[in-house]
Amino acid sequence: MALVLMGLTGQSAFAATDQLIYGVDNFDTLLFILIAILGLLFVAIMIVALGLLYVVRQSLQSMPKTEEELAFEKSGETGWWQFFWQKMQAAKPMELEKDILMDHNYDGIQELDNDLPPWWKAMFYICILSSFVYLGVYHWWVESDAEPVSIAEYHETMEEAEAAKKAYLATMANSIDETNVTVSTDAGDLSAGKKVFDGNCKACHGGAGEGGVGPNLTDEYWLHGGDVASIFKTVKYGVTEKGMLAWESKLTPQQMSQVSSYILSLQGTNPPNGKAPQGEKVAAE
Amino acid sequence: MIDKEQQHKPETTSNLEHFSYDNVIVKNFAIATMFWGVAGMVVGLLVALQLANPIFNIGEQAWLTFGRLRPLHTNAVIFAFVGNGMFAGIYYSLPRLLKARMFSDLLGKIHFWGWQLIILSALITLPLGFTQGKEYAELEWPIDIAIAVIWVVFGLNMIMTMIKRRERHLYVAIWFYIATFVTVAVLHIVNSLALPLSLFNSYSVFAGVQDALVQWWYGHNAVAFFLTTPYLGLMYYFVPKAANRPVYSYRLSIIHFWSLIFIYIWAGPHHLLYTSLPDWAQSLGTVFSVMLIAPSWGGMLNGLLTLRGVWDKVRTEPVLKFMVVALTAYGMATFEGPMLSFKNVNAITHYTDWTIAHVHVGALGWNGFLTFGMLYWLFPKMYRTKLHSLKLANVHFWLGTLGIVFYVIPMYWAGLTQSLMWKDFTPEGFLKYPNFLETVTQIIHMYELRAFGGLLYVIGALVAVYNYYMTAASGSLLKEEEASAPALQGGHKIKRWHEWIEARPIQMTIFSLIAISIGGLVEFLPTYFVKSNTPTISTVQPYTPLELKGRDIYIREGCYLCHSQMIRPFRSETERYGDYSKSGEFVYDHPFQWGSKRTGPDLARVGGKYPDSWHYNHMLDPGSMSPGSIMPSYPWLLDDDISVDDVPAQIALMRNLGVPYEEGYEDKAVADLDKQADEITESLLNDGSETEPRKEIVALIAYLQRLGIDAGKASSVPLK
Repeated sequence: MALVLMGLTGQSAFAATDQLIYGVDNFDTLLFILIAILGLLFVAIMIVALGLLYVVRQSLQSMPKTEEELAFEKSGETGWWQFFWQKMQAAKPMELEKDILMDHNYDGIQELDNDLPPWWKAMFYICILSSFVYLGVYHWWVESDAEPVSIAEYHETMEEAEAAKKAYLATMANSIDETNVTVSTDAGDLSAGKKVFDGNCKACHGGAGEGGVGPNLTDEYWLHGGDVASIFKTVKYGVTEKGMLAWESKLTPQQMSQVSSYILSLQGTNPPNGKAPQGEKVAAE
Repeated sequence: MIDKEQQHKPETTSNLEHFSYDNVIVKNFAIATMFWGVAGMVVGLLVALQLANPIFNIGEQAWLTFGRLRPLHTNAVIFAFVGNGMFAGIYYSLPRLLKARMFSDLLGKIHFWGWQLIILSALITLPLGFTQGKEYAELEWPIDIAIAVIWVVFGLNMIMTMIKRRERHLYVAIWFYIATFVTVAVLHIVNSLALPLSLFNSYSVFAGVQDALVQWWYGHNAVAFFLTTPYLGLMYYFVPKAANRPVYSYRLSIIHFWSLIFIYIWAGPHHLLYTSLPDWAQSLGTVFSVMLIAPSWGGMLNGLLTLRGVWDKVRTEPVLKFMVVALTAYGMATFEGPMLSFKNVNAITHYTDWTIAHVHVGALGWNGFLTFGMLYWLFPKMYRTKLHSLKLANVHFWLGTLGIVFYVIPMYWAGLTQSLMWKDFTPEGFLKYPNFLETVTQIIHMYELRAFGGLLYVIGALVAVYNYYMTAASGSLLKEEEASAPALQGGHKIKRWHEWIEARPIQMTIFSLIAISIGGLVEFLPTYFVKSNTPTISTVQPYTPLELKGRDIYIREGCYLCHSQMIRPFRSETERYGDYSKSGEFVYDHPFQWGSKRTGPDLARVGGKYPDSWHYNHMLDPGSMSPGSIMPSYPWLLDDDISVDDVPAQIALMRNLGVPYEEGYEDKAVADLDKQADEITESLLNDGSETEPRKEIVALIAYLQRLGIDAGKASSVPLK
């Protein structure tokens, strides 16, 4: 039971996060809520109506009871809920099972011939119907030259994300690039830069910048320029033919400027196991 | 309570025939079930530990790494545990339901020993890395042929028993057995079609998108017709037997049987949502999954409602206790499956541990518990005694149930957590967790908890083994169970329409075959024959000989079990991995390697992303390049040589499969291979890693550096 509950809440939980992630627009959400409310309302009305019907029938004693209802009462199950459930399940009361016991006998196993549970049948019909609607909406009733569904969805998301990003960047002064980056000696910037370095650069350039797969960053020799703008540029765009990755899509401009400052702060630290110098000597700024 | 004796009509004794049921074969299958079951679960526990901590890739031995043991785990629990369980149940129930001994003791013995030999050969070949590289169909072609032969032996034995039967009508359990036989035969044969290069190496005749469609038509329906339909059949025998109640509804049986087998076969593409599979096929996968809810639940309802009036027995009777949980797990898994087939849900759960949780609800709950329940019934019956200990059965029940809970909840949690991290963006428009590894280290504790759940489940299974053994030891096996029944007589009248078919085993088999063929054909034929469904990309060229060798290693090491090669059209994936994958990129991929789980990042466009030396160091010690990585080390790739003797034959084989190598390229292939290998060796040397050109690592690097490169050369790749 706990698992069922978990499954159900789990499903609804990610339905919600899905909307957060894809930014389903308000109209869709509204429509969904409306349909859900209408659905629940419909079910509630049906329950009340069936209950009322039962009460009315109970009060009209003149109405003869069926054998089924008598057996049902005899079994001690009363109340509109049991009645409703009985109707939804359409199971013959156990006292009357002999009426639907088939003449099958397989190694002692017998079979009843109960009706298909109406709720189950309804579920089946609804699933079949909605499948046709699904195919209609996405395939039959669309223009023949429309993009495949997943691809159209992708382009839409990308455009929305681009617009959201532009809007955000317009409000933030987050526009450091290689033309305006400056060296920072601020302790906060340097420790943020160290964090970026440890998380991303260490594997190739070593924990102290001594070099490894990539060159030594603590000496005065540089392959692609040793001023802060050049370092920023190397980090940002990478030098793919030599194996330096482009970090443009993984680090923010601020992070790239912090890590560039941190790298410059390593100058002359002369860590152990330093890799031999590569590139041209650049005098310290 | 219905008195069964009332229903027995007095038979004329004149034509009463005497015969016996063979319990030895049932006993053998039952023992094999538990033997392989425990073995498969222990391997499962080991691979779970390997994900929690790579140190469990013991001793950096190739045959003990995750990539080779994971197929062993899945094959063992599916084909050895559930397979033997299914056969035990069928060899017990089928003759009794038909009032006839199994057709041939010899066929039964061939079936039993043949199947055990197949399992043994899997146990040897999979850790050695002999694999076809398709999930749950890893076994190489000689074993595939053996499986087909033994399966036909089983089917023949079953159908001949039906022909010799003394019971006019086939009970619903048998309908499910028939559907199992025909469908698994069709699935196995089609999905295993491959051209062999050597005794233990072959290549799927299908490529890329077509291979993916065939594989998941197979994979999905292996679940349907190996793990579901035979077990529904067993449920229909053992639940009413143990409860001593009539089956709830005969007409529900009819409707849910036919709708289940017809609809199930269509749903395979739901494993390929948002991939390069044509859109229409994906949608068919979704809608048929949704339509499958009711037919699946039909089986659960018929089982649970059969217990009307005897629910008090469930408290005391271990057989029923296990079966009720099994049916509930079945109901949950078959509801969850369609939910996961909705594209927007699938977008979140696919490639994550959510899927692992989902399958284990089915495997541990439905298959495991039904098997245990069945054996709690069979052992006392066959050994003419009482169950050794009711208390231990209860201990097993709670260990198993807790094991399932501790397994699945952490996995649901891990799946959701990781997926949300993959998809999270900063307001600046960057991935919030650009380093894939961060999303792995986040869920390590969930992997530890999962292994604990698995441990509980294994302990439970061991308790059961002890209980079964003590039960058998306290009784004596009734090898031949005497029975008698009148011979079948002609001239019966049909009262209901379905009786026409259920009285005819051959027709039943043919109709089942038709029902299960339609969906597969409708989905596959257009994908294979209609060109517009797999548009080619002019810049995509066949692999070089060295890359082919590297690809062989990629498949051998089971890389596809943790790394996908399929970038879905989501912002979070194109930002992380590059442009989304197109079907035209995979036209030379025999077999396809799209994968189904991302324990590590996608590799579809990994080519050129890292220097050769990065891959070299990463294969030697993943932790050196990615601190905290749970990937095992592959030191043997640095020591072992590739064999170039079969390169010309491999090129010729690929050409036969439709890969356009020019005529006579065989003769130049080895020279080309050496040239490319020298270049990579040179580049490695420049970065301080010294190796030889013929080492496996060089071939693997060549393959990895090629991935996704060709499509990038096209200035604009057509979208459709």
